[in-house]
Amino acid sequence: MLNFIVRRLIQVPLVMLALSLLIVGLTQLLTPEQRAAGYIRSDQQAARLEAIIEERGLRDPFIVQYGKWLGSTLQGDLGFSRASGQDVVQTIRERLPNTVELTLLTALPILLLGIWLGTLSALNKDRLIDQILRVLTIIGYSLPTFVLGIVLLAVFYGYLGWLPGAGQVSILNQFALGDLKRYTGLLSLDAVLNGRWDIAWDVLQHMILPAATLTVVSVTTFVKVMRNSMLEALTSDYVRTARAKGLAERVVNNKHARRNALLSIVTLGGFLIINLLGGSLITEFIFGYPGVGLWMVDAGLRLDIPAVLGFALLSALIVVLVSTAVDILYGVVDPRVRFD
Amino acid sequence: MKKLAMLSTLLLAGAALAVAPKDTLVVQEASDIPTLDPGVTYDTASGAIVENIYETLVTYKGASLRDLEPLLATKLPTVTNGGKTYTFDLRKNVKFHTGNTMTCRDAEYSFERNLVTNSAESGNWFISESLLGTQANANDDKSITWAKIDKAVECNNAGQLVFTLPQVDPAFLAKLAYTGQSIVDSKHAISIGEWKGTEADWKNWVGKDLTDSNLNKQPSGTGAYRLVRRDANATLLQAFDGYWGKKPAIKNVVIQKVPEIAARQQAFLRGDADIIEGGGRSVDTEQIKGKPGVRWIDNLPNTSATAIFMNQKIQDPKLLGSGKLDGKGIPANFFSDVNVRRAFSYAFNYAQYIQDVQQGQGKQRTMLLPDSFPGYDPKVKTYKFDRKQAEAYFKRAWGGNVWKNGFTLTANYRAGSVGAQTMMEILKRNVEALNPKFKINIQPKQWSEMLADSKSGKEAMISIGWAPDYADPDNFMYTFYASDGFYSPRSNFKDASLDKWLKQARQTVNVAQRNRLYSLVGNRAYEQAYYMLVPAPVNYTFVRDNLQGVSAANYNPLISFSYTGTFWKELSKK
Repeated sequence: MLNFIVRRLIQVPLVMLALSLLIVGLTQLLTPEQRAAGYIRSDQQAARLEAIIEERGLRDPFIVQYGKWLGSTLQGDLGFSRASGQDVVQTIRERLPNTVELTLLTALPILLLGIWLGTLSALNKDRLIDQILRVLTIIGYSLPTFVLGIVLLAVFYGYLGWLPGAGQVSILNQFALGDLKRYTGLLSLDAVLNGRWDIAWDVLQHMILPAATLTVVSVTTFVKVMRNSMLEALTSDYVRTARAKGLAERVVNNKHARRNALLSIVTLGGFLIINLLGGSLITEFIFGYPGVGLWMVDAGLRLDIPAVLGFALLSALIVVLVSTAVDILYGVVDPRVRFD
Repeated sequence: MKKLAMLSTLLLAGAALAVAPKDTLVVQEASDIPTLDPGVTYDTASGAIVENIYETLVTYKGASLRDLEPLLATKLPTVTNGGKTYTFDLRKNVKFHTGNTMTCRDAEYSFERNLVTNSAESGNWFISESLLGTQANANDDKSITWAKIDKAVECNNAGQLVFTLPQVDPAFLAKLAYTGQSIVDSKHAISIGEWKGTEADWKNWVGKDLTDSNLNKQPSGTGAYRLVRRDANATLLQAFDGYWGKKPAIKNVVIQKVPEIAARQQAFLRGDADIIEGGGRSVDTEQIKGKPGVRWIDNLPNTSATAIFMNQKIQDPKLLGSGKLDGKGIPANFFSDVNVRRAFSYAFNYAQYIQDVQQGQGKQRTMLLPDSFPGYDPKVKTYKFDRKQAEAYFKRAWGGNVWKNGFTLTANYRAGSVGAQTMMEILKRNVEALNPKFKINIQPKQWSEMLADSKSGKEAMISIGWAPDYADPDNFMYTFYASDGFYSPRSNFKDASLDKWLKQARQTVNVAQRNRLYSLVGNRAYEQAYYMLVPAPVNYTFVRDNLQGVSAANYNPLISFSYTGTFWKELSKK
């Protein structure tokens, strides 16, 4: 197992190197003017286009440009992101914990609800509850995130006023944040550790709508997959054998059928975590939630190349780490899967 | 049910706290704030904050773009040496946010820093043009030496700030009102690792992009507001207790980044935000105007100018078709015939453009200069949509060959810009209706490509605008009409009269004489129809109705905080 983990971790820098070569290479398909556009933020600056290209060396050969990037990256400097107005590393350090916080609040309900409703649906195949769940799943699956997010915002914030609007904390608490000592980077947790329960509650309230949006949109896939896996497991030989042995229905369903059905959920859960940690672009955008997803939307729109490269490396790291964790989990869920 | 009621109460309690407090101005916008360093501030989002943290020597008087008044200076400068030396008396006992007292050395440092760095991203090219006689920095223009920079701005023994210009520049004073020319706290800047202010390390700072400078992270100005904190979500500022001027009524300012317009609209209509970035006139009219708690202010001045260019030397053969006047293309110098240009000018339906694109809120200007600017002459004639005139001029063009053979012209517009697309469609429809042999192909093009291609004269007919850096007519007139002006490579005409008048206007400080020269330019440009002048949109703004100090009477379009056209210190809440 240890060998497997070490092997996976060694792959990380290689994957990142290949990825960076690919992305920097792809940016060369753009003209120097197009790449310089990322540095322009007003019409007057557009008038200085040629000077900007010269100063930034955007006409240099690819190898020179890549060499410059790699040189500074190896020194821990990923460049300056114009979309965030700060260094890429600093941006990730500031925003990733926000995304992690949202992921923590979102992933668990999605997984638990998905498994529970999927199981319920399968165990009640073709009964009323299954029919209702299937209809709801289709509705949830078909709802675009953008539409759902705006509707939730308009109803619960705009119309009912039950929940706060965009952002991470309310105006009153904005000023108090500066006095908080940051321990973990997770704002709600840090607020609790500082004894500021009001801020923690405020942060949680601000996460309810984005989390609800992500849950509704993502849970449907889990329900569908869990239902199918469960149905397959329920008709398999080992479940029939378990029943023939006279085991209680509850034990058969939970211990034999569901445990095996969970394998596909583990795979899917890995993708879910990767997506959530990589930033839920649309959701963070709608709710102005200051995570890495919102930063990436900005960076993409502005052709902020240092940010895109930095984000790509971050994503690669998340993918490798989460995939490793998923592979380990396979072993836990299914004893037949072993790595040593 | 009990639990649900309790949860709702808790949520309601939390949400109720969200309404913007009386001493706090809450602004929600989609744009980010690229920098807080005045040395590189060259966009309105940054300028809107920087102009409240820092201060310039002079500023605009109320809503006027013609009158300047002292700010960190005690009075307007004494101008000597035939208009080449400007001497300023500076305010005493002015404190920076760090507690340092402002001295003449700070002012000298600030201007020298701008001249030394003068990065491509900054607006320092125009102050360099006044003080060093070149737009370039020392990397690109080897004639710039430390001695020249040092001599351009100095403190004399009386503690006055003295600028020495290589030649007369009537726009100089207006340039000093630009927020990029704010006075920075030199002791603080040096202490956090910025340029030392001496010859020793000046070369290391030439052309340096200051966007992410240490001063950007830790600004210290003399302005009425000081930065408290910036994070991914918000920028927080507070009224500066040691401010030399009147104590501001608004104590806190919060600028929140909310990219989604629906979220901003909800916050504004609920009163959680006092000001938001809108979604354009049609969206805002539909969603915001007339709603409870909203104050809508219309008919505000607009300071951008846009033209449809008619390139007289088209460098891209792909746009020329056959390259001849045979109905299948145009010659590269198609627009060099004044009759063609006049015909096109008469063929554009200005009123329809105002109706379709500007929702009826547009104004036809006489010159490519905002009407609120000094030098604007409302008496210069304008073209109106006139089919008969257009037909008559097309018949005269190129010895009758245009009318006889027809032409095929390819024009590009900025991809994604509905306004630019509609503009071209209006023109296409009207021109093609005159003669079945006339054909205009319009196609979208990426902005970055258009920028590059238009600069090398490769666009035949495009629309481009200009926004002012400072309130001087030269900033527009020279840009559009001079044969060595910034836009010249896009229009490729050389008019000796225009060049002469524009250069004369640059060399005189006599206001009446300058106005006369600009009127001459305007009339000649009309006569020669060098551009089709796109009607200027009428500006508007909206704020929560409890926000005081916002009105058409004190709205200055050159203030970067364009939501109110004022500094924050002039605002209060009921």
